[in-house]
Amino acid sequence: MGQVSLRGIHKTYGEVPVINGVDLDVREGEFLVFVGPSGCGKSTMLRMIAGLESITSGELLIDGVRANDIRAADRGAAMVFQSYALYPHMTVAENMGFALKMAGVSKAEREEQVSRTAEALRISELLKRFPKELSGGQRQRVAIGRAIVRKPKVFLFDEPLSNLDAALRVDMRIELSRLHKELGTTMIYVTHDQVEAMTMGSRIAVFNQGRIEQLGSPMELYNKPATEFVAAFLGTPRVNLVARPNDAGSPSHRAFWQKLVPPESAGIARAGLRAEHVAIVTAAEGIPATVVLAEHLGDASVLHVRIDGLEDLIHAKTGADQAHLVAGDCVGLRPAAERAIYFDATGRRID
Amino acid sequence: MRLPSFLRLSPRWAPYVFISPFLILFAIFGVFPLLFSLYLAFQSWEPTSGLQAMEYVGLGNFAFALEDEWFWKSLKNTAWLALASGVPQHLVAIPLAVFIHNSFKRLRDGVIGAYFLPYITSTVAIAIMFSSLFSKDFGLINAGLHSLFGVENVDWLGKAENIKPAVAFIVFWRYLGFNVVLYLAALQTIPKDLYEAADMDGAGRWQQFFHITLPSLKPMILFGVMLSVIGGLQLFEEPFILTGGKGGIDQSAMTSAMYLYRMAFDFNDFGGASAMSWLLFALVVLMTWLTNRAFRPRGGSV
Ligand SMILES: Nc1ncnc2c1ncn2[C@@H]1O[C@H](COP(=O)(O)OP(=O)(O)OP(=O)(O)O)[C@@H](O)[C@H]1O
Ligand SMILES: [Mg+2]
Repeated sequence: MGQVSLRGIHKTYGEVPVINGVDLDVREGEFLVFVGPSGCGKSTMLRMIAGLESITSGELLIDGVRANDIRAADRGAAMVFQSYALYPHMTVAENMGFALKMAGVSKAEREEQVSRTAEALRISELLKRFPKELSGGQRQRVAIGRAIVRKPKVFLFDEPLSNLDAALRVDMRIELSRLHKELGTTMIYVTHDQVEAMTMGSRIAVFNQGRIEQLGSPMELYNKPATEFVAAFLGTPRVNLVARPNDAGSPSHRAFWQKLVPPESAGIARAGLRAEHVAIVTAAEGIPATVVLAEHLGDASVLHVRIDGLEDLIHAKTGADQAHLVAGDCVGLRPAAERAIYFDATGRRID
Repeated sequence: MRLPSFLRLSPRWAPYVFISPFLILFAIFGVFPLLFSLYLAFQSWEPTSGLQAMEYVGLGNFAFALEDEWFWKSLKNTAWLALASGVPQHLVAIPLAVFIHNSFKRLRDGVIGAYFLPYITSTVAIAIMFSSLFSKDFGLINAGLHSLFGVENVDWLGKAENIKPAVAFIVFWRYLGFNVVLYLAALQTIPKDLYEAADMDGAGRWQQFFHITLPSLKPMILFGVMLSVIGGLQLFEEPFILTGGKGGIDQSAMTSAMYLYRMAFDFNDFGGASAMSWLLFALVVLMTWLTNRAFRPRGGSV
């Protein structure tokens, strides 16, 4: 129960293609996260699974049954909207029981199920209130409760936490993970937030321009990104990408490249190195660079430094021991070459 | 150059001077007639005999009005017309607005404009147009009814039992567009994801209409019905023009507003007319309050 398969899904709005062939198997009971830049089609994909958007071509299977033409309510999917979309003129209890009411469930049965769900979400004392009498976090819980009451095969979340403040977001993140463990239901979760993606997902699907760029576990994606796009999308600060120096390349650039890349490596066009793999040493010991911006976070420091001849700044994440550095200081860089990721000219990773 | 001191405004007085035109006009044309009619309601006065002819009669005018058969008749007419024109207005306007909202994209403004046109057309023009449409032997309405249903020519404006429906229809026709515009405005404010959530919850078209659209429209229904109640109880122009100011055969389209107008200007009883207008006012207040009670939205606005 709760297995979703996408087979060559396409979606066009008029002439405009939005989803360009998505193949994906969502495993039963997994927490799958969709991430990607704005406008890449995450919401559209989710809404097609929900049944709120038609599928232009391709097949959607839910538990092995073709669901393209099944109406939204009968697909066994429940959706939690970013705006919550609670019915303003219904009480919390009525909101949560609406789907059951539409399904013709008796009043007593409805109340029973609603109160059981409300207890699990710790919102029992809110049942008689109207949505406008709730805080953002409470509304979110009610929206989740409304989805749970229906006992769906799959939960669909479209950026459910983006309207909450930072502290509440952390709480709800933990709460949702707990809920996923308790219910064991398949969840598909759209987010912009890397931390949400990395911490909540059993697997992550990175979307780019209507395609899935890579699918895998969070650590897999982080350590072995399939493409430059995935490497750049996950991780803050962004991964450092260094291009192969040409004949006119500066000495520092060449030195940095030689440190990063093994000698016989004709196919490598760019090398990627995450900020935490760039160590800061004295200028004499490493490749010389100038600090452009130093961000001291207390427990760690993020340094943005310039290497002569390189257009992009190099980001380095170090422990608090570099907290004395200020803009303009000269430092040396020592890359951890064994952690470098190599890409060919088309942006694909080379092992 | 400085103005001579007697022409200069001190900052203390300037604000009062600048708002005084409105206040003066409002006092003359708003407050004074109001208070004067309240005063008149307790006087017996025939204005042709001059101001000194006023005579205090206490509650006499009110007592007279409440015993006056025609006053009661006019109230009944008013209530009948208000219901017969007001209820269909909303029963038709709401579904019509929903239909326009869902079905018209580019033509929308044109369609709304067509429905709104009667509202901004002069009452006199409308009344004249309808007296010709309703005319017994040559009217378009009878011609249409005859060819469609084989109905014999109906004497719409010449028979007591036909005048009221005719007037009610005109009022309905005239204010329908206004209500459609009200409801369309309200429909646009209902968030789309409520309907999507309802889709997911398994609500069909009708269930969505009854469980989402109607409750969401409730504040606007309250407003619209309130305007209809107030407008209906004060109905004057359409029946006045259509019946030549007399209320038609057997006074069957004589509304309260018309009657109190006749009381004052045909029968020269300004005291009685004032008393009636205050009774009518009390009725409007009462009905508005009841409407408010009946249509108050549950759980308030979003
Ligand atoms: N109804 C529509 N008509 C035409 N184009 C649309 C429609 N809905 C979405 N699009 C387009 O489809 C693309 C994908 O939209 P979608 O909402 O799926 O993006 P998203 O990945 O969810 O972005 P975000 O992270 O900003 O929410 C966008 O370029 C958008 O402009
Ligand atoms: Mg989106």
